[in-house]
Amino acid sequence: MNSVNTDDQTLLEIDDLTVAFGDGAGSVRAVENVSLSVAAGEIYALVGESGCGKSTLAYSMLQIVPQPGRIIGGDVRFRGRGMVTMSKRDLNALRSAELAMVFQGAMNAFNPVVTIGTQVDHILQAHPEVFPDPKEGRNHFEHLLELVQLPPKRIWKSFESQLSGGMKQRVAIAVALLLQPSVVILDEPTTALDVLNQRLVIDILKDLHRDLGVTIVFVTHDLAVVAEVATRVAVMYAGRLVETGTVEEIFKAERRHPYVEALINAIPSVLDVGLTVEPIGGAVPNLADLPAGCRFAPRCGLAEEICQHTEPPLLGDDGGHLVACHVVNRNAVPMEVSEA
Amino acid sequence: MSLLDVQNVTHTYDTGTGRPVLHNVDLSTKEGEIVALVGESGCGKSTLGRLIAGLHEPSSGSVSFEGSDIAGLRGKRRKEWRRHVQMVHQDPYGSLNPGLTIGSTLAPGMLQHKLANRRTVQAEMIKLLQQVGLDATPVFLQRYPHQLSGGQRQRVSIARAISLQPKLIVADEVTSMLDVSMRVAILDLLLSFQRDRGIGFVFISHDFGVVRYFAQGGRIAVMFYGYIVEEGPVEDLIKSPSHPYTHMLLQAIPVPDPVLVRKRDEQGSSPERLTGEPSTKGCVFANRCPLVQDVCRKEAPPLKDIGSGHRTACFFSDEIPPLKHLTVDEASPQATRL
Ligand SMILES: Nc1ncnc2c1ncn2[C@@H]1O[C@H](COP(=O)(O)OP(=O)(O)OP(=O)(O)O)[C@@H](O)[C@H]1O
Ligand code: SF4
Ligand SMILES: [Mg+2]
Repeated sequence: MNSVNTDDQTLLEIDDLTVAFGDGAGSVRAVENVSLSVAAGEIYALVGESGCGKSTLAYSMLQIVPQPGRIIGGDVRFRGRGMVTMSKRDLNALRSAELAMVFQGAMNAFNPVVTIGTQVDHILQAHPEVFPDPKEGRNHFEHLLELVQLPPKRIWKSFESQLSGGMKQRVAIAVALLLQPSVVILDEPTTALDVLNQRLVIDILKDLHRDLGVTIVFVTHDLAVVAEVATRVAVMYAGRLVETGTVEEIFKAERRHPYVEALINAIPSVLDVGLTVEPIGGAVPNLADLPAGCRFAPRCGLAEEICQHTEPPLLGDDGGHLVACHVVNRNAVPMEVSEA
Repeated sequence: MSLLDVQNVTHTYDTGTGRPVLHNVDLSTKEGEIVALVGESGCGKSTLGRLIAGLHEPSSGSVSFEGSDIAGLRGKRRKEWRRHVQMVHQDPYGSLNPGLTIGSTLAPGMLQHKLANRRTVQAEMIKLLQQVGLDATPVFLQRYPHQLSGGQRQRVSIARAISLQPKLIVADEVTSMLDVSMRVAILDLLLSFQRDRGIGFVFISHDFGVVRYFAQGGRIAVMFYGYIVEEGPVEDLIKSPSHPYTHMLLQAIPVPDPVLVRKRDEQGSSPERLTGEPSTKGCVFANRCPLVQDVCRKEAPPLKDIGSGHRTACFFSDEIPPLKHLTVDEASPQATRL
């Protein structure tokens, strides 16, 4: 099986997508030739460090890549419908009915001078097709607030400024789910939260997935959160997909991209007695000045001559676990070339 | 003699809610020792850090450095204390003046404290750059903060702190805004100064993994709404927490192994109250505590010694269950190191 599967379970499909920022000589590709597909019922994690393109990839799933970013190649399909060439009207309809986004830190999620309840009422009024009876919509929102473990009555009357960072994040999740989308995309939902609020969000995402059957895509740099929540994972490095598979495949050490290996070893963990944590030498490359071959080669302990001049292809095993590394793939057999 | 002594400190911000954000806090550290402050957002870690660094004065109680109350220091001794206690902040973007070059950021402190003169300062700064792993060239000194990455900026902040040859550094969430791949390098850099120069640290973080890595051999103080509720040696406190709040924090940490996660989830999780206001009567943790009894609602448990330098403020510290997911043996064989 290859990276892009097109059975009816596929909800979102990224097909050879390239997103550029800027024009001409100064332009950089924040996402380059990325393909992946999100099936219904998945909790899909997009992982990487700052600047690797994970948020840009998430934004392109909604066609909201911020200026001066542009999709210059490939497509994003929702249930088989191409979104890159879709009319603005159709896109808006799709976004309000099917795809919802929660921004990092719940940024811009609320109007500071209006109560949460009034804002919810406005959304319900703008979309009578979802809840013809606004009372029903309100009840649904109350139910969502309970799912995110917040007191509905109090939140309804609150202003944004009265919510702590952790509460704001959870209200934003409830609002995103208000119109019963089939996919919700979250950018760094646990970042900047303390450990208890992180735990709450982790548990809540799992509950929402179980109770509402919603498909979840989330962006994170935290591999422990990935292990806790995700069913599938895509790891990005400098604009490229370097590994994708089920969460078990990603965390199994047998065949793993050296960057993923290094990331896992770079996390000091509370249970890690006597084991050494290894920092990753060097830094993420500048997208305007990328190394010729594998983008990770300058920091990679396994790098060989071929890595210096040839970009490694993403190769898969039978199960669709894909790794883009010359050395790792050579040492693992048998291999099948991905169409991605 | 202890290096730092925080005695019975209570602090209320003039601009705040009027409620104290620190209550009767006692904490002391020895020369070269690492003490970590952990706790949820808003528990008062940074406030305590700023009081220790002398950026605020406590509403009551005292902060002493090398035996002298810092409120009473004057003249030369005050200047010396100022030099000996430095702070490194969370935000490498906010803590450097964007209008100053790296050279103009580093030089004034050294000149003011006579650790260099006009002739030697350039060479001293280049030495510093090298010590913190930056490009040790005159060109680098001409750069501005916006031309540097987050990790480089944090190294400049560290260079500024160590340039004054301090005895104590208050490090407030110094890695939380850095990329994962850079965190350990920054922690290692700070640790090298502790090891080689005997600099002590008050290390503030809400990440137990980072705390355990950094404070090995040191101590942890766990704070809840302005109270130290537990304090003890790092390994001891992490392996056998003696306060229900510490237990809750440790249990909440995400586990970087999907196999262990599934096992734990299959066992079913006990519903816990992870958030909620502090109690105003009796034990401050009573509203959230799974072990709460009548006595906890009436009396405040004192922070008492339970042996080997471990203190806890809980009446029922013997009844704390073992941590659920902390057994490494159960991990999948090839699993991530936990
Ligand atoms: N300058 C200030 N004026 C008024 N109140 C303040 C000020 N600084 C902090 N506070 C309040 O004091 C309490 C403790 O805050 P502090 O910043 O010390 O917590 P913290 O443990 O460092 O939290 P975090 O993990 O979010 O950094 C909080 O209720 C906070 O809102
Ligand atoms: S004293 Fe009582 S309420 Fe407080 S932590 Fe201990 S058991 Fe819980
Ligand atoms: Mg703080």
